[in-house]
Amino acid sequence: MDMLLMGLCMSLIGIAVTALAFAAATHPKSPAATIQPQIPSVKPAAVPARFFSDRVASPLLPPPQVPIEVLLQQIENHVRLEQAAAESFVAFPTNAQLHSKTTSSFLN
Amino acid sequence: MEHELLKGLSPTEIEQVLALGNRMTVSSGASLFRLGDPADSLYLTVRGRIRLTLPMMVRGREEDILVEERSPGQTVGWSALVPPYRFTLSATAPLETEVIALPREALRVFCETSPAVGYKIGMNLAVVVGNRLQQVQAMWLREMQHIVELKSIYVEAAR
Repeated sequence: MDMLLMGLCMSLIGIAVTALAFAAATHPKSPAATIQPQIPSVKPAAVPARFFSDRVASPLLPPPQVPIEVLLQQIENHVRLEQAAAESFVAFPTNAQLHSKTTSSFLN
Repeated sequence: MEHELLKGLSPTEIEQVLALGNRMTVSSGASLFRLGDPADSLYLTVRGRIRLTLPMMVRGREEDILVEERSPGQTVGWSALVPPYRFTLSATAPLETEVIALPREALRVFCETSPAVGYKIGMNLAVVVGNRLQQVQAMWLREMQHIVELKSIYVEAAR
């Protein structure tokens, strides 16, 4: 019985010591102990408001390169369309036939 | 089938002209003639198709670009009848194609002995060449117009 009481007391003391150590480790430090130099706050430079992005695509940029097989096919289709337009003009010559817009994907 | 070069000829005359020629089969993808080759024969297309192409530089590479396609009944290679007798286009068959090759010399002798037939063939040839010229003129003008329109767009965009 004495041994049991002795073990119980020792356990209680151990728990108390552990609790104190835990409290010391997790307790917030006082402001006096953590005096740090004041860092001047830097505000970002004022940027003028823009409605459009700075990255406006130039209309003069070259179109993205298509594979040469696709390009050759586009050229061939263009020739066929233009030849059909020319044949229509020869069959029935008018200004409108000559100036009609092409639907060729090569130019549009 | 009616050949555009033999329009207006009687069946007997057509037979006589066709007898001057040799039937040839051009296999798919094969060349009938190349630009700059001596043009000794005129061809009448019987079956299949003939692609007439010119070399064009595309991205620094020479590519054969379609100029015209001839189908059965149409004539190919009239350079054989017009000095300096050199082909100004290349001709290939995109599929197995049958043509009748009319040698220039045989045709010339026949037309000299039958001037009435020679006249009709000459007139038909003028129609073939004239049509080609008018079509090319129209295509040239339309292409020039496209260039002018594109140039206007670029000038506006550059402002």
